Amino acid sequence: MHAHSLKHIKAVENRRYHTFFNLAIFLAALTGIEIVAIFLPFMRPALLVLLVGCSIIKFFGVIMWFMHLIYDRPLLLWVFITGLAIAIGTVLALMELFVQSDVDVTAHAMMEGMRIEPKAWV
Amino acid sequence: MATDYHEAVACKSQLPHIKSALGLTRPDYTTGIADWLTTVDHKKIGMLYAACALFFFLVGGIEALVIRLQLIIPNNHLISAQLYNQLFTMHGTTMIFLGVMPLSAAFFNYIMPLQIGARDVAFPRLNAFSFWVFLAGALVLNLSWFFQLAETFGWFIPVDGKTDIVPAVGWFAYSPLTSVQFSGVGTDFWLLGIQILGVASLAASFNFIVTIINMRAPGLTMMRLPLFTWMTLVTGVLIIFAFPAITIALLELMFDRFFETNFFHVEKGGQPILWQHLFWIFGHPEVYILILPGMGIISEIIPTASRKPLYGYPLIVFSGAVIGFMGFTVWSHHMFTTGLGKVATAAFSLLTMGIAVPTGVKILNWIGTLWGGRIRFSVPMVFSLGFIWMFMLGGMSGIMHSAAPADAQQQDSYFVVAHFHYVLVGGLLLSLLAGIYYWVPKVFGRMMNQKLGYWVAGMVIVGFNVTFFPMHYLGLAGMPRRTHTYWSGFGWELWNPVATVGAFVLGIGILLCFIDVVRTVIKGKPCGSDPWDARTLEWSLPSPVPAYNFAAMPVVQGRDAWWLHKHEAGEEARLTYEPIDPHGIHMPSQSWWPPFGGLGFLVFGISMCMHGAGVVFAGYGVIVGLSIVVFTILCWALEGPGGYYIKPAALHAEAGAMGETQSSSEFKG
Amino acid sequence: METTASLSLPEPAHAHAHTSSGIENKKLIMWLFLASDCMFFGTLITTHLIYRKLYPSGATEEGILNITQTFNIELTSFSTFILLMSSFLMAIAVSAMHKGELKSFRRNVLGVIFFGFIFLGCQVFEFTEFVHGNPELGVPPMTLSNSVFGSTFFVLTGTHGTHVAIGVLWLIGLFFYSFSGRMTRDSALDVEICGLYWHFVDIVWIIIFTVVYLVEYL
Repeated sequence: MHAHSLKHIKAVENRRYHTFFNLAIFLAALTGIEIVAIFLPFMRPALLVLLVGCSIIKFFGVIMWFMHLIYDRPLLLWVFITGLAIAIGTVLALMELFVQSDVDVTAHAMMEGMRIEPKAWV
Repeated sequence: MATDYHEAVACKSQLPHIKSALGLTRPDYTTGIADWLTTVDHKKIGMLYAACALFFFLVGGIEALVIRLQLIIPNNHLISAQLYNQLFTMHGTTMIFLGVMPLSAAFFNYIMPLQIGARDVAFPRLNAFSFWVFLAGALVLNLSWFFQLAETFGWFIPVDGKTDIVPAVGWFAYSPLTSVQFSGVGTDFWLLGIQILGVASLAASFNFIVTIINMRAPGLTMMRLPLFTWMTLVTGVLIIFAFPAITIALLELMFDRFFETNFFHVEKGGQPILWQHLFWIFGHPEVYILILPGMGIISEIIPTASRKPLYGYPLIVFSGAVIGFMGFTVWSHHMFTTGLGKVATAAFSLLTMGIAVPTGVKILNWIGTLWGGRIRFSVPMVFSLGFIWMFMLGGMSGIMHSAAPADAQQQDSYFVVAHFHYVLVGGLLLSLLAGIYYWVPKVFGRMMNQKLGYWVAGMVIVGFNVTFFPMHYLGLAGMPRRTHTYWSGFGWELWNPVATVGAFVLGIGILLCFIDVVRTVIKGKPCGSDPWDARTLEWSLPSPVPAYNFAAMPVVQGRDAWWLHKHEAGEEARLTYEPIDPHGIHMPSQSWWPPFGGLGFLVFGISMCMHGAGVVFAGYGVIVGLSIVVFTILCWALEGPGGYYIKPAALHAEAGAMGETQSSSEFKG
Repeated sequence: METTASLSLPEPAHAHAHTSSGIENKKLIMWLFLASDCMFFGTLITTHLIYRKLYPSGATEEGILNITQTFNIELTSFSTFILLMSSFLMAIAVSAMHKGELKSFRRNVLGVIFFGFIFLGCQVFEFTEFVHGNPELGVPPMTLSNSVFGSTFFVLTGTHGTHVAIGVLWLIGLFFYSFSGRMTRDSALDVEICGLYWHFVDIVWIIIFTVVYLVEYL
């Protein structure tokens, strides 16, 4: 740690400050776009893609810069990506394994005394 | 800092009473029980794990023998059906979580840091914490027996008069059997016990992974790591990615039972099948968590006893990693009969067949190692050869299960019981016994009785086969697993008593081994530091290993460093050592907080179960338990890591700043 | 013996020089924990999504739960924004600690704590609203036990909230510790791993906000 002088560290951290600030503004803007987009009457078909895209960009913005992965050794990125990949794979596989026709939604709703508004979902 | 102590001492009992940053005295100077409670030495923690594991092996074994006694003849009513359910549940849970996993953890703890030339694990206090939390979880699970005993005496009456106090839902606790309508306090004991054990396993695994990645001796690149260390790493990775799934499943079950959520409540729209998925997303990697350490042990013993390098080292490392990764992709093969749909069933079937390939590669490599070797049939080697053979048989029946149509016939029959016992007893237990025979001389500097060892090997392998091979027949003849008793006339009367007799032979064999371990610790024949003429770094140390492990840090010159050092010609094959710090070796400070944290988890677990049983004021116990945990973390953080200096004996003698046993040949040469 | 300076105990922050990978032990274990936590939240989120897929109408006992009617997207957006900004302040706090600027560190950490409290406050408010419902507008109550949606929603967001609360406690601990005189530039690593945890909680919220809240408005 003392191999780098304090002056050097200060220069590096000050440079990073601007990156962090720009990123924060960018993330806030993306969130704004997401919130506005869900109420807009047009581009509904592309909405899911837009939302997922925005959150992926935000996700990687935070882990790469705020969490220093871009400055740190690549091993840390690989460690995290491994966990993320296994998690995403499991989530997607589970989502595929459960299908709506497995449950008798009508019977379930009748049991609860409710009306049904089936809606295509994801 | 005023609290640091800079004088090096020859033995930690000579240390003055140093104060931590909290102002409390650090227990570094302690001896006896206080020393064992506060120790952060990975070797002592390893021994604690091993002692607990052997004890729980006996508990689980007794449970198994009672099960076999109940099944010895048709229409037997030695024990009630309820007790039978409790016994098979606790047998499975105990053997997996309290027998096999802690015994593997014992080997990880003791052996792995020595193999990589480290002075301790990366986080010594966290390591101690893992052990104490493990013990808390083990107690939560097993204290249920005592609560049941208290209930029979009328000292403890759970709400609604639910007498189901010991877990009785099977080791995978399928929903909806686990909901409050169908099971009693036992399920609470089970879910909290497993949850606490999960905390212990996770903490230990984070620690081991960091240790292996970060604390290797100079020159010890990843592709020079001993195979056992590699398998420790893969097991650790599996644990950290598999246990979160069961953590969440248990959390959801806990909410269902304590806070009336609807995760698995069918009448409210919950899906019991979700429990099966979440359980097996954990449960299948768990199978590899169990077996990979055994494969690591075998991969150490076979080259040593064959006096030959491991055949195809990179391939065996790679297949270990592939098994680990693919372990996450095959969970649904436990659920073929639930109706996953054609595509999913086919996919999981193919993946399951695929995962047999890297396993087969490993077996080929072990056999390749034997080929042309100058094999010594030492006791560990006999167990290892038994492992290869028995594990292969278990693997064969495993491939049979991977075909979904065949599996539909075998599901929930004794065929499955035979399969997983071939893998876990014939495979895993034999490798763990091999590990015990192989490393006990290192741990205690004393040799186990070899003659008895051959007898143990014979009894275990014969007894095991007599017990479990007939179960293949029983299963194909339709005997369902977990059946309390059976009528005569189904063709099951012959093989059940045979299996029971085999089980007792197996049990006596294992008991003899454990008795011999105890005898060896007390008065075994002393042996040198390297009785097997072994290959890896731990054998370069004196036995028993000094507290600081390596007086001087070794510089590793190749794979099988110690073997090269002993038997290869040329100067570059010699192990060299880094210059020793004349001031002494820095040792981590001991701490009271890890056992205190374990106590917090114990109070939390028991109080939650009592709360579930409707005991008044038990809810406050939950708060007390959690508060102890939070308080522990706070004090732990504020205490500071501390440390003291110890001067190895070699330094006092100034014998070239080197332990004699470590490098005598180097100085002769 | 010699002077104290030459004999000072190895501080944890110096340890990175000795590790085989060049990564500090504490940082590596934190990243391993976060990788593991991906699976933890992955399992929770998937539980929620599976039930959303199976019961598209969102079943409750007291009538159909119109989820977008129950949700208060303006409030959630606000707390999402707050959490994002707290991440920014946290990054600055870590920077400050690397530079050894204790005052700047305290100021920023206090900001993070404050934002953390706002987030938790919003969540408590939101939960209370959901549990009571709004009879005048015909919004039925949604509780932990009256619907599968309630169970999965409250346990998922509640677990995330617990993570935030633990992060806030950790930060409060660091804030007060900074007055002990023991916090120097060498403690930057301790602050950094706390920061990693905080950012992780933030990215989990980014995912939850999209897949639990926004997607309902599709």
